[in-house]
Amino acid sequence: MISQFFVLSQRGDNIVFRDYRGDVPKASTEIFFRKVKFWKEDGEEEAPPVFNVDGVNYFHVKIVGLLFVATTRTNVSPSLVLELLQRIARVVKDYLGILTEESLRKNFVLVYELLDEVIDFGYVQTTSTEVLKSYIFNEPIVVDSALLPTLGPASIFMQGTKRMPGTAVTKSVVANEPGGRKREEIFVDIIEKISVTFSASGYILTSEIDGTIQMKSYLSGNPEIKLALNEDVTIGRSGSSAYGYSGSGSGAVILDDCNFHESVHLDNFDLDRTLSLVPPDGEFPVMNYRMTQEFKPPFRINALIEEAGSLKAEVILKIRAEFPSSATANTILVQMPLPSYTSRVSFELEPGAVGQMTDFKEASKRLEWGLKKIVGGAEHTLRAKLTFSQESHGNLTKEAGPVSMNFTIPMYNASRLQVKYLQIAKKSKAYNPYRWVRYVTQANSYVARL
Amino acid sequence: MSGHDSKYFSTTKKGEIPELKEELNSQYKDKRKDAVKKVIAAMTVGKDVSSLFTDVVNCMQTENLELKKLVYLYLINYAKSQPDLAILAVNTFVKTSRVGTNGVYLWQCQAWTIVAKLISVKTDGNGDIWEVVQIAIPIWVPSQDSQDPNPLIRALAVRTMGCIRVDKITEYLCDPLQRCLKDDDPYVRKTAAICVAKLYDINAELVEDRGFLDSLKDLISDNNPMVVANAVAALAEIQENSARPIFEITSATLSKLLTALNECTEWGQVFILDALSRYKAADAREAENIVERVTPRLQHANCAVVLSAVKMILLQMELITSTDVVRNLCKKMAPPLVTLLSAEPEIQYVALRNINLIVQKRPTILAHEIKVLLEFKEYATEVDVDFVRKAVRAIGRCAIKLERAAERCISVLLELIKIKVNYVVQEAIIVIKDIFRRYPNTYESIIATLCESLDTLDEPEAKASMIWIIGEYAERIDNADELLESFLESFPEEPPQVQLQLLTATVKLFLKKPTEGPQQMIQAVLNNATVETDNPDLRDRAYIYWRLLSIDPEAAKDVVLAEKPVITDDSNQLDPSLLDELLANIATLSSVYHKPPEAFVTRVKTVSQRTEEDDYPDGSEAGYAESPAHAAETGALPPSSSASRQPAPAQAPAAAPPVAAAPVPDLLGDLIGLDNSNSLVPVDQPTPAGPPLPVLLPASKGQGLQISAQLVRRDGQIFYSMLFENNSQSLLDGFMIQFNKNTFGLAAGGPLQQPVWYFNDKIPLHVFFAEDGRMERATFLETWKSLPDSNEVLKDLPGVVINSVEATLDKLAASNMFFIAKRKNANQEVLYLSAKIPRGIPFLIELTAALGVPGVKCAIKTPSPEMAPLFFEAIEHLLKS
Repeated sequence: MISQFFVLSQRGDNIVFRDYRGDVPKASTEIFFRKVKFWKEDGEEEAPPVFNVDGVNYFHVKIVGLLFVATTRTNVSPSLVLELLQRIARVVKDYLGILTEESLRKNFVLVYELLDEVIDFGYVQTTSTEVLKSYIFNEPIVVDSALLPTLGPASIFMQGTKRMPGTAVTKSVVANEPGGRKREEIFVDIIEKISVTFSASGYILTSEIDGTIQMKSYLSGNPEIKLALNEDVTIGRSGSSAYGYSGSGSGAVILDDCNFHESVHLDNFDLDRTLSLVPPDGEFPVMNYRMTQEFKPPFRINALIEEAGSLKAEVILKIRAEFPSSATANTILVQMPLPSYTSRVSFELEPGAVGQMTDFKEASKRLEWGLKKIVGGAEHTLRAKLTFSQESHGNLTKEAGPVSMNFTIPMYNASRLQVKYLQIAKKSKAYNPYRWVRYVTQANSYVARL
Repeated sequence: MSGHDSKYFSTTKKGEIPELKEELNSQYKDKRKDAVKKVIAAMTVGKDVSSLFTDVVNCMQTENLELKKLVYLYLINYAKSQPDLAILAVNTFVKTSRVGTNGVYLWQCQAWTIVAKLISVKTDGNGDIWEVVQIAIPIWVPSQDSQDPNPLIRALAVRTMGCIRVDKITEYLCDPLQRCLKDDDPYVRKTAAICVAKLYDINAELVEDRGFLDSLKDLISDNNPMVVANAVAALAEIQENSARPIFEITSATLSKLLTALNECTEWGQVFILDALSRYKAADAREAENIVERVTPRLQHANCAVVLSAVKMILLQMELITSTDVVRNLCKKMAPPLVTLLSAEPEIQYVALRNINLIVQKRPTILAHEIKVLLEFKEYATEVDVDFVRKAVRAIGRCAIKLERAAERCISVLLELIKIKVNYVVQEAIIVIKDIFRRYPNTYESIIATLCESLDTLDEPEAKASMIWIIGEYAERIDNADELLESFLESFPEEPPQVQLQLLTATVKLFLKKPTEGPQQMIQAVLNNATVETDNPDLRDRAYIYWRLLSIDPEAAKDVVLAEKPVITDDSNQLDPSLLDELLANIATLSSVYHKPPEAFVTRVKTVSQRTEEDDYPDGSEAGYAESPAHAAETGALPPSSSASRQPAPAQAPAAAPPVAAAPVPDLLGDLIGLDNSNSLVPVDQPTPAGPPLPVLLPASKGQGLQISAQLVRRDGQIFYSMLFENNSQSLLDGFMIQFNKNTFGLAAGGPLQQPVWYFNDKIPLHVFFAEDGRMERATFLETWKSLPDSNEVLKDLPGVVINSVEATLDKLAASNMFFIAKRKNANQEVLYLSAKIPRGIPFLIELTAALGVPGVKCAIKTPSPEMAPLFFEAIEHLLKS
């Protein structure tokens, strides 16, 4: 059981503080913050998510720049506490629409009311926004999201956590909209984070997809929902080839492993790959999955570094989008470390290039190439001339690279896992809520070696 | 409140506070409302508007719900700084809002929350708790609320009451709690279940006496899984704090809980799984049944559920004998364990620490998941030499740890050798040697490839490894003798580890191929290694071989070519007993720290408020022995001589044999003549009530800690009674007491935690007066005569009056001063007494006084006249008391 829960700002200010058991001194917030800020133990520079100071165990997670912290004196389950901290953040976000220091401060009465229901005497009671609705009476004071700095379309998926990038919606699950009634709608996002490592010759060394089907429901009356996936989805690799990658010839989508939200009924899953559930309010993952089956990587990277006279070299980066032209990738950033003795870089973009930027980061000796968007099927090239401050050691390819890439591709997914249909149990003929099924693929670690 | 409220966040130009104050007291409702909004806005951006407290609270007298809400917001924020006013405010608040709509419910909730907070504020300090409690009790306790028709209100009442950590309130809590545990509404029951744990924390006896434990156990069979989960959580906590078996899991409980597991919320599943992990299955069959019902939990999206399920399965696996079942379970656990690594980084950390433990016990569990080989191979071709070496070593470790991966590892290593990068080859040979030792007679076919790289080896470890391989497999290498010979040329220049390997390899070669070539080689090597070396290790080994070979070549074979034990890789391996303990604690903090729970769990009893009279010296309160305030109540005094005043060294010889402080309690016990040789008194020995102890360290100097103490003698033993009073806001624990060095030799453990408080206490000599101090008249006279006059000390005690000889003698006898004789000298009474202190030092006492007239003359004779000042102080104290 936990003793205290608190939220600190990046500066260490107390935003929320709730003591559940009184067996940990109040100074814990300061002790914690000092410890985390000046962590220098075990040769690590960053504090681990769990540590012990004078018999008090501190757990923390960082969410949108805030520190969510719990303390305890007992030998609790650390995954429970860490998971709980994430869930509290999600519940608060469900209620407030957005999670910021300002929204927390403005709604602190509501937040405390939530905390009293979520945890009693240090024991988690519920973290379901749906369940909480019956016990929570304060209404959120909505912080106008228009006042927030404008977010790029992709940043909505970039909130830092790996599994739960968060949906686009920044409206509260419980608050009524200015117009009075809530709009009936449901969002289903299939979010895939892909990791690929290419060898110098373009061969795929490793590839993995971490996917999640995320749902956020604003439907009234909690109707039952049926979510149908491709029928050729299979779970668990048959096994023997644990090392190499069996070809994707069969066409089936083979997941290594997957898990489901507790509201999901799997009665028909084995039969026809449909999930049925009564979606609780709030944002939650319907299903998480992991796949190492070979898939077609959305981008091919060609990178070349060559000596071009004494103290000079040339880099040629070529990127080819190998996804259909109906999709467009955005916020692409290609990075490449250059030899440490690189002193100057001049860039040469292809003629007529728009929405591209290049930079040489002097301090980290890194080349950066940003592209606003790339349409499926397109190819882009960058040439860069390097000037060195000393003779190279002969093996340029070992001293530069690897090339890494960040991108987001909306309406595309690499695994070919699909939501075939989203069926909402009808209350009446006129009932036809908005359904949003969206796909997005993001680079997690997308690396090509030289 | 909608978007346009943001205008309240704009600042005004002139003095804000006075302006607001004026507006708050406006006669117009709307203006007041606007003013409160401005105050709230200022508050939320962190401005201090606490000075407006009274004005804002006054605005509460309104029917307007929105305004009330705002006042409340303000109140909850500033209640702590203005507790008294807040109490009054809340009191009216609660009284006026006892109507049963949901809107009002909200009021009540929040009002109560404030009161609970106020009570904790007030009781934190030394404030008058009762003032608050008296307000609080009428609010809750007649507990209309715990019988309110709205279940939310009933639950709230019981939840909030449990949070008030005031002992006196608990009795009022019992009846409502009893009812709530049997409430029709599951929400009330689940809240009540947790409340029992709260109550147990405050007053365990009460919980047991009132039968709450039984009610709690009944809830395990509740039809609502939330209730079951909370009952399990509460029982588990109570069990942890109790030495008695309270929550024993029988097979009946087990099956109930396993059924509840399927319907529980994710968090409840963790409670139940963790509680069940204490259950020991009777046999393999039961274990298999349990595992079968727990396995579906591995599919849960909540990482905590997955890890708790893994823990449960691992524990049951210990009992399962069928290797098929075990293998199957490992196969089922692997993918979910790997999936944990796709979670948030914090969870990944926890997962990795746990996986680290699991693979030490079940190395094969992730064998299917090995994908790093290609990565290592890639790293092995990098430019950074250290990094490359580490990559090659890592491949070797994979091979040694995972049998199924060994073959692939070997082929990767061979590919690396073919690159012919010198340091890669050398590193590869070093790890291949270990692989040979791990899998004998499996991969020797690659030796030929290895031999190709022979010439490039220049690092001692690689050379030594290669030579070992040649010697070990000499019979399979046709030109083994040639290969070794090439090394022998440089024998004297080689580093010791290469020389040792060459020596051994040559002996092996000779034993395996006792032909001419090897025979010459062995002679050359033995000669080199015995005559021309100054390395004793090498020389000794050479002599041993030499003798073996010359006396009994068969024995040499047995020794040198003996079968070698298969090696294992135990790097990063924990001690098996620690590993087992940690594995039993999978999915707890232990498994993250890799320390057993007792290494970091320090249980602290929740600070419970107790009133003055509870504190001291109530001996019956043994139940609170772990409470820090009582931990050091009584201490023992290992006694010895003298006091804080040092005796003059010149007089010391008279003090007889060993003056040195003797800290051993037993010895001291003997010295003082106690039949109880253990002079250390257990801490929990009850201390009878006595007069108040003198304050030695006032709270003002001790940062809130006040220490009073006195030495007393009771039942033939010496006690040091100490009273610690904590007047500070913080919890003090971990007390240690140290008696600084003194001539009495009082010694004990180390002292008070940082900060250290120093204080002095005089040792009253009379506590040392022993029961056997009575002397025969004759002895008395003899002793008196035998002591030189210089040993006689005289002192006038002007403030002392003796009214009755009888009473005085009784009084003194009670302190072990024994009457010898008396005589009259004019109008004065002369009394002779004796006393004895440890080490048999006698005091012969002559008291001269006129009855009823102030002023007593006291003369003593003793072998230790340096004690006289102490003695006088003691007797003066006794006579005056």
